[in-house]
Amino acid sequence: MRCSPPRSLLVAACATACAAVLLAGCVHPTEGGPIQPLPPAEGRVNPGLGPDARPLSSGPGYKGSPSWSPGGDRVAFIVDGYVVDRTVDGEQLTRWTTKDFVAAEAEWTADGSLTMLGGAGAVEGRPGAVYRTDPKEEGSLGVEEILEGVLAMAPGPERKDVVVALEMGPDESGLSLLRAGQMERIYTGTVQGTVTGASTSPDGDRVALAVRPAGDGSSHELHVFDLRTGEARKISEIQDGRGILGAPQWTDRGIYFVAGALSPPGDDGEPLYNLYRTAPEPGEPEPAPGVGEDFVAGGARVSPDGDRLAVVGRLNPKSPLNLYVLDLQTGSLDAVTTNEDMEIKTGPDDLAWSPAGTSVAIVARGASSGEPEVRAATAEELLDAFYNLYEIPITTPEPPGAPR
Amino acid sequence: MRDATLWAAGAALAFLLTAGAFLVLANLATGPATEDLPATPARGKPGPPLDLDLNRDRLDSLKPAPDQELLLTVENSGGRDFSNVNLTLEASSGDTANPNARYYRQTLRNLKSGEDVEVRFLLDLSKTAEASPPPTAPDETSEIIEIRATTPEGVSVVRTAILPL
Repeated sequence: MRCSPPRSLLVAACATACAAVLLAGCVHPTEGGPIQPLPPAEGRVNPGLGPDARPLSSGPGYKGSPSWSPGGDRVAFIVDGYVVDRTVDGEQLTRWTTKDFVAAEAEWTADGSLTMLGGAGAVEGRPGAVYRTDPKEEGSLGVEEILEGVLAMAPGPERKDVVVALEMGPDESGLSLLRAGQMERIYTGTVQGTVTGASTSPDGDRVALAVRPAGDGSSHELHVFDLRTGEARKISEIQDGRGILGAPQWTDRGIYFVAGALSPPGDDGEPLYNLYRTAPEPGEPEPAPGVGEDFVAGGARVSPDGDRLAVVGRLNPKSPLNLYVLDLQTGSLDAVTTNEDMEIKTGPDDLAWSPAGTSVAIVARGASSGEPEVRAATAEELLDAFYNLYEIPITTPEPPGAPR
Repeated sequence: MRDATLWAAGAALAFLLTAGAFLVLANLATGPATEDLPATPARGKPGPPLDLDLNRDRLDSLKPAPDQELLLTVENSGGRDFSNVNLTLEASSGDTANPNARYYRQTLRNLKSGEDVEVRFLLDLSKTAEASPPPTAPDETSEIIEIRATTPEGVSVVRTAILPL
């Protein structure tokens, strides 16, 4: 008798092997496994200005002089001398001038054009020229020269006009009013000295001027120019070798300005400037109420409604730089950034209010170590490695009993 | 006796075939998958299969002059070989108004899995005379070196070095 188990066992073994091979064939090969790309936001670190800060620019370039468009949807600024603007809710960038343009200040006006103070003279403290972009020729890089010999400029109320201070002669300045790129008015009255900064009153009738007197190295006089009468008068003078930084700010509660010693008294190399207030009448300036006697001020800008002042400064010389908002009615000073190793620019033109008064644009970068750095992103994506613009939202506390 | 021998031979053959099948299964289903997965994620991110290493000492030695040697290490830390790794390098001034950008390119052939190769670039980092200095320029100027490595397989990595030159 033949025994069949070995044959059947062999058949079973072959069937098992075939099944195993078939089963193995059903498993997906792992060729082409997932390869994770670098996240596009690599290198976009927390800007170190607080959780609410939002970048408005990125990439390399020395940026400054932000200016919000009248609608608040775009912010113009200067990058390495040329002028660009960027949409606030997107990343559409428009360049308005050629890259060899040398702008010192850019201001958006109500007609949708940019008025720019530029030229090598303006950069080196000498008179520059005022240029204007054509809003219908966006991206053409063509600008029109409006005026030469311009010392300073300031947008008027609601940015309809631009007041420009002109060099009329050695140590003599004059004023002119521009509207939609045209010379609206030239004032015959002059200011004794060189105007270095200007700010219009909330009603647009007068202009506060920082003036450098003849034979002096610093601007330490405040003048008020009446645009209705064309007359100017000196209202205040800063003593003790101090000078006025940038343009005075005409608010609902008087004229505020930043002044201090031009040469640093200490060894830290940082000048100590203070915030002052004066009435628009002849008188002695006083330390601005609400900021504290140790407050060190940098750039300052009045809000569009005239009742708040945004100031980049330090609570005391040892504390970090932050953006503060001073409520001019209550005198309360609130920090709206929480600086963590950021260098905030303190230039007089390096901050700007949005038209609605709900945000302030500032310029900052991460503290530089002075050593080579390597980042895992393209240069254009980097934020804190370079000076960039940030939008800082400003919340206004509602008065008691205000409707919600 | 002959039946017993056949029984034993059949059982051994069945065992070997089954074991072999399971070995094949194990190899196909698990082996390569662990190799192809990205490196252990760091802080929730997978490690890159292609990496560029710029040593700080190498960067420190660069000067604002022509013929500056930049050495960088290209590392294939993934599970697959790369037939080509295209390297593009752009050196530009931190002053964006300065149009003097310089571009360099190299290709690495057949970078095997786990292999790292040192690549040498000879850069011109000399300063160009600026027609008009930018207004209120910062005290320090920087040179930006952006290096991008890409493979035909679609893997890419970018590194940007900021040199305070």
